[in-house]
Amino acid sequence: MRCRNSKGLQRGIVNILLIAVWLLTTTVAFAGDAVLSDPRTMKFAPVEFSPPEPARHVLENGMVVYLLEDHELPLVSLSATMRTGGWLEPQDKIGLAGLTGSLMRTGGGGGLTAEKIDEELEQFAIDINMGMGRQSGIASLDVLSKDLARGMRIFAGLLRQPAFEPERVELAKLQAIEAIRRRQDNPGSIVSREFLKQLYGPEHPSARESTIESVKRITRDDLAAFHQRTVHPNGIILGVTGDFKTNEMLALLRGTFGDWQKGDVPELKIAEVSELTGRSNVRFDSKETSQTHLRVGHLSIKEQDADYVPLAIANDILGGSSFRSRLNTGVHDQGVWLMRAETKLPSTQEVINRFVANMERMRTELVTAEELAEAKEAYVNSFVFSFASPSAIVGRFVELEYDGLPKDFLQQLRARVIALSREDVLAAAKKHFHADRLTIVAVGSGEALPKLLSGFGEVKEIKLAPEG
Amino acid sequence: MKTISTLVSHHVKRPSISDRPYIALICILVLSPSLLFAASSGLADRVIEHKLANGMTVLMVERHQAPVVSINMTFGVGGVNEQVGQTGLAHLYEHMAFKGTRTVGTKNYEKEKPILDELHRVGTELEQRQRELARRSVDMSIDANEKAAIETLQKRFKELQDQALQYVSGNEMALLYQRHGGVGLNASTGKDLTRYVISLPSNRLPLWAAIESDRMANPVLREFYKERGVVMEERRLRNDDSPNGLLFETFTSAAFRAHQYGVPTIGWESDILSLTPAATEAFFKTYYGPGRATIGIVGDINPKEVIALIENTFGKIPAGPPPPQIVTVEPPQRGERRVEVEFDAEPSVAIGFHKPGLGHPDDYVFDVIDELLTDGPTSRLYRQLVRDGRLAASVHSDANYPGVRSSNLFVLSATPLAPHTTGEVETAILAELERLKSEPVSPKELERIINNLDADMVRALRSNSGLASQLALYQTVAGDWRYVLKARDKIAAVTPADIQRVATQYFTKSNRTVAMLVKKTVAKQLATAASREVVQ
Repeated sequence: MRCRNSKGLQRGIVNILLIAVWLLTTTVAFAGDAVLSDPRTMKFAPVEFSPPEPARHVLENGMVVYLLEDHELPLVSLSATMRTGGWLEPQDKIGLAGLTGSLMRTGGGGGLTAEKIDEELEQFAIDINMGMGRQSGIASLDVLSKDLARGMRIFAGLLRQPAFEPERVELAKLQAIEAIRRRQDNPGSIVSREFLKQLYGPEHPSARESTIESVKRITRDDLAAFHQRTVHPNGIILGVTGDFKTNEMLALLRGTFGDWQKGDVPELKIAEVSELTGRSNVRFDSKETSQTHLRVGHLSIKEQDADYVPLAIANDILGGSSFRSRLNTGVHDQGVWLMRAETKLPSTQEVINRFVANMERMRTELVTAEELAEAKEAYVNSFVFSFASPSAIVGRFVELEYDGLPKDFLQQLRARVIALSREDVLAAAKKHFHADRLTIVAVGSGEALPKLLSGFGEVKEIKLAPEG
Repeated sequence: MKTISTLVSHHVKRPSISDRPYIALICILVLSPSLLFAASSGLADRVIEHKLANGMTVLMVERHQAPVVSINMTFGVGGVNEQVGQTGLAHLYEHMAFKGTRTVGTKNYEKEKPILDELHRVGTELEQRQRELARRSVDMSIDANEKAAIETLQKRFKELQDQALQYVSGNEMALLYQRHGGVGLNASTGKDLTRYVISLPSNRLPLWAAIESDRMANPVLREFYKERGVVMEERRLRNDDSPNGLLFETFTSAAFRAHQYGVPTIGWESDILSLTPAATEAFFKTYYGPGRATIGIVGDINPKEVIALIENTFGKIPAGPPPPQIVTVEPPQRGERRVEVEFDAEPSVAIGFHKPGLGHPDDYVFDVIDELLTDGPTSRLYRQLVRDGRLAASVHSDANYPGVRSSNLFVLSATPLAPHTTGEVETAILAELERLKSEPVSPKELERIINNLDADMVRALRSNSGLASQLALYQTVAGDWRYVLKARDKIAAVTPADIQRVATQYFTKSNRTVAMLVKKTVAKQLATAASREVVQ
């Protein structure tokens, strides 16, 4: 038997998320038979940790490199964050960035055929992945240190001179079209995507989607041109960790990427979204389901906003834990305040009512001192996990530089969290929670849903054309 | 290439905001799948093992990169231990384990206890009588007195539920962990095992030991009916509203007629809605003794101190009686089984063959076949079906579905590329299996598999939580974490002739189960199952 850490573990799914404000009250201790000490009253010294700081170098052609040695295991890991992505796609060729990214990996390059590359990588257990999202691209290499030179040669060839072999382009397009045809199979997928379209508008770069037509329109030349136009050494921030010597790695990187010419790096600018409308926006999509799949929320602030910290803490107190991952709001475009639930049809109204009530309560009542203390301690005590491994540390630096944030941004956030008052949380909630201007999107019974939702605003149906 | 889920996971807390553009490559950040470590790496020497007198096993690895520790507590209990009519019980207990103890999660246990006792008595009686009434209402013999009695019970039930709620200190266990910097608090239930995980700043280990030894000794089933409702929503989300979930549920129950592997871990709907506090408590007492627990602890620790801490906490818990044996063995399949699932979704196909479980020599051969067929872009089925044949958009395999300990299935699954059909994909997959019988595999293909296996073993060491998970997993299912080292050598010893023999023996029509997801275009509304939830 060979067990793997199955990707199918399906973590991260919750079934009915009824956000509740947890009331912490003083409790009377009861001594159970086998309990030696009460975990509720335990005290510990603060977590002291000064993580190693990676070295930062800039190559002649503008490529930024962060390096942090880690000799525990004979592995080298390299990740290039590229200033490219879906925001650069022309409106009639949505899907271009995603296809360019995946074909940089699968379409051959650097003078080697796609087939030869696949074989080499598999034979030497080298992992190379490349892809483009909405606001960035990532190319990564993970290799046993003994095979570093081989892995680096292939990686650089794909990154710099991808071949976009026509057969592989054709295959990737067919797969992309099949994925589009299957988009409406799962109610959770429908509701998440429709929710974003309602908030940002269906053509906004943060919500728009490829179609079978837009994918069909994309040619091999489009991919090559998109790569040529957007992937430049001076638009790349490289993070390298693992079993190497810094000066040798720098020499290898200079030898590999040094003669790559600078280009015009696109500016990452996402169109502003219009302000919230004055009333709630309620939509449903009819699908045969056993429960209602719900998304409720509205557009919110950017991460640089002065109210980011109090609002994130308000979210933690309400039951989210997104703050600690620093993945919750947009840096380059507006964030979203989202509440999510999957619940049996008859509970649909109750769930929305509770969402609304919780928001209202945050707007009108101070959180308790205990709640705020809990949220602060959770943030401060888990802070170490942002720096728990060399790759996590380097990843932080790369991410912050990509987003144009100072390298001590997390430390600044931490200081602001510690200084936060209950009044700050209330003021931020008052200003940024709008229970009267919610976007509500539900997928479920077309017969019963409109009636259940009608109390929350004018209900309109989203009529999805079948993709299949 | 494994994507088939065999675990049902519990979720404690989730982010509420998420808008960051999802980058397709996010999976590269996740721990690579893997066995443990190459024997040559020397890291095997770093595992420190300690066995308690009550039977509990502790496996530790020191890693001092950062002041953090990951803990994986794995119990050798799961869906296979459930009785008829009580499916989903292992998973429900896992949810209930987060509700607290006599100390954590309550404002006053002494006052709470009698209320809970009565609530559970009344709830159980109420549900029995409601079911009986529902049964009788079919033949119209409804008794007005009985209806009134049920209403009285219902009222009392509601009162007791409200009273009990006053003593609940909601989510206190999770909050305690969070307050102390815990991340990744979660649990999952599978066919063979149930796992509880957390990562903490390493100086908080005493907190973990206090909480976990308390819940191993003194769990209290509070908010039972509410949590059972949550589990029911989980079933709807994962199985009823998910085309793949429903396909695999149907596929699995068609493949197994007798063995518990055929039952979905989440449980059948009617069973979930009938589970009682008494059955849940009994399940805990039978299966959650310290002798069935293995704890993997990896990170910034001092093993001597950890052993002392664990002896002082978990060590006080008495050993439990040996649990009942599982006696049911799946009888040999005597003919192909084919099933269909209609769904408003695009088609897909799953094909399974019965095979032996962990420890059988042929099991290692299936590991090789698994890699050969679907691991990576040069694998045989990917090339034949996807890259060159363009019949399928994706193809996967799993050599140990849905569990590992007992005889299980080798499963292949694929999604056709329109306009190709599941039938065409099935034919192509079967042709490739035939090729395994007739042509010896090349040495180069075998070399590739071993190279990847060895690299995976090294990569698995990168993450504290991944390593803790692997140690506890193999200790629980194989009785010894060193199994991974032995397995590596056994896999390396597999010959082309072994593969031909095993393919010929197992990949036969009569040993086969095929399930197809069939597109159902006419949307009609389901009679809502929710109305059957009598108590909420």
